[in-house]
Amino acid sequence: MAADRHHWFVRLTHWVNAVALVIMIGSGLQIFNAYPMFARRGATFCCYPFAGNPIPHWATFGGWLAGARNWHFAMMWLFIVNGIAYMIFIYLHGEWRDLVPRRGDVRDSWEMVKFYLFIRGNHPRQGKHNALQKFTYFAIPILSALAVITGLAVWKPVSFALLTNAMGGYVYARYWHFLVMLSLVALSAIHIFMVLVVDPFSIRSIVTGGYNAERAPELRNGRPFYHLFKRTRRNTDAET
Amino acid sequence: MQRRDFLTASGALTMAWLVEACGSRGPEGADKLLKYAMRKNETLERGLFRHTSMDSPRSHWPNAGKALPQYYISDTVPVWDSAARGTWTLEVSGLVKKPLTLTLDMLQQLPRITQRVNHYCVEGWTAVETWTGCRMSEIARAAGVTPDAHYVDFQSFDNNYHESWDMDSAMHPQTLICYGLDGRMLEPGHGAPARLFSPVKLGYKNTKYLTKIVFMPKRNGGYWSDQGYEWYAGT
Repeated sequence: MAADRHHWFVRLTHWVNAVALVIMIGSGLQIFNAYPMFARRGATFCCYPFAGNPIPHWATFGGWLAGARNWHFAMMWLFIVNGIAYMIFIYLHGEWRDLVPRRGDVRDSWEMVKFYLFIRGNHPRQGKHNALQKFTYFAIPILSALAVITGLAVWKPVSFALLTNAMGGYVYARYWHFLVMLSLVALSAIHIFMVLVVDPFSIRSIVTGGYNAERAPELRNGRPFYHLFKRTRRNTDAET
Repeated sequence: MQRRDFLTASGALTMAWLVEACGSRGPEGADKLLKYAMRKNETLERGLFRHTSMDSPRSHWPNAGKALPQYYISDTVPVWDSAARGTWTLEVSGLVKKPLTLTLDMLQQLPRITQRVNHYCVEGWTAVETWTGCRMSEIARAAGVTPDAHYVDFQSFDNNYHESWDMDSAMHPQTLICYGLDGRMLEPGHGAPARLFSPVKLGYKNTKYLTKIVFMPKRNGGYWSDQGYEWYAGT
């Protein structure tokens, strides 16, 4: 049996994180709906164009303010512990080597963009992940840590007064927390979209660990939707 | 069942559960787990609590003034009716050596503190206000609280609204029994004649229309805490 593409521990923490993140976001949006704006009472806020408009019900979780708060403050521990366990694992087990961007990855991600836009003909050479993936997967733990830190500043603005003040006070801490959530949503949405339209064969690898290397995007010149309308062709001219 | 089928099935079930969960309160069975997390969080929050951690809004943040919402539980603004109920007093009782019955005048004789602090509402808004009153710790000292008092209940004449506090938070130097707001005597909308106010707890813990302060060996919940909101609710 070939080695799993993703170690079982990575697969486990990936899906635990998916569940924890969805619940954190849903309950967070339900909490947000109790006051769907940022302004301090008697003041104005510069930077939120949708003030006063609640988040649609389907995107919320927890049912009501207290329910959502209780979910948020319970699930945050699963989110934190799972995230730390994942980080320790990829550090000790070596997976971090596939995820930390290297010097050439800035240029390589530009090459990937050119490839996706049909400016470049052949899929750039890559390791386990392409350069764009590396930046994304590297950003997720950083954004998650920021979510936790900004969250602590909102949760305990007096106990962690130094932290909250460093963020510009409670109102801005709440705003940064919201923006970090939006970036996590954006990256997750792109991640899911690209998995589905570029490399749906990789879904198997994050569930059972199995992966058919013959179907790697690099080998079949996989662009978004490409495999849906064109027969796969081996990328034999990878040098160019 | 093959391992692969099992994993696929559990993945599908998880996704189905998440879709189903949209806009819902979540599974009923999770209640115990949520309560457990709430208790653990309280232990952590109590451990983090310091009397030296103070709330201090920046000077350029404006006071909320009229933008400060007026919340009460009764159908109309609760107003103390002296003709029917006699002079308003604040009773301090329970585990104390010397129970007190304080009039508004007596309350104002106690060392006066004026502080500009944030109001942290559970809904997510904050409001800066300048409050005047006396420290809760001063009242505790005057009443001679006994060492077996670990909780304090703050009761009101607003439809039996009350919230109980841990002793530590009640004795924080920024926890005041307030009778003044923004340089004027408290108005009925904000809890006249006197109310509890502290930035170390969320708004709903700060009982308005105060009538009784009872020191207790055990906690006895509160109006919102009994409905599912955190009892500790510390900032």
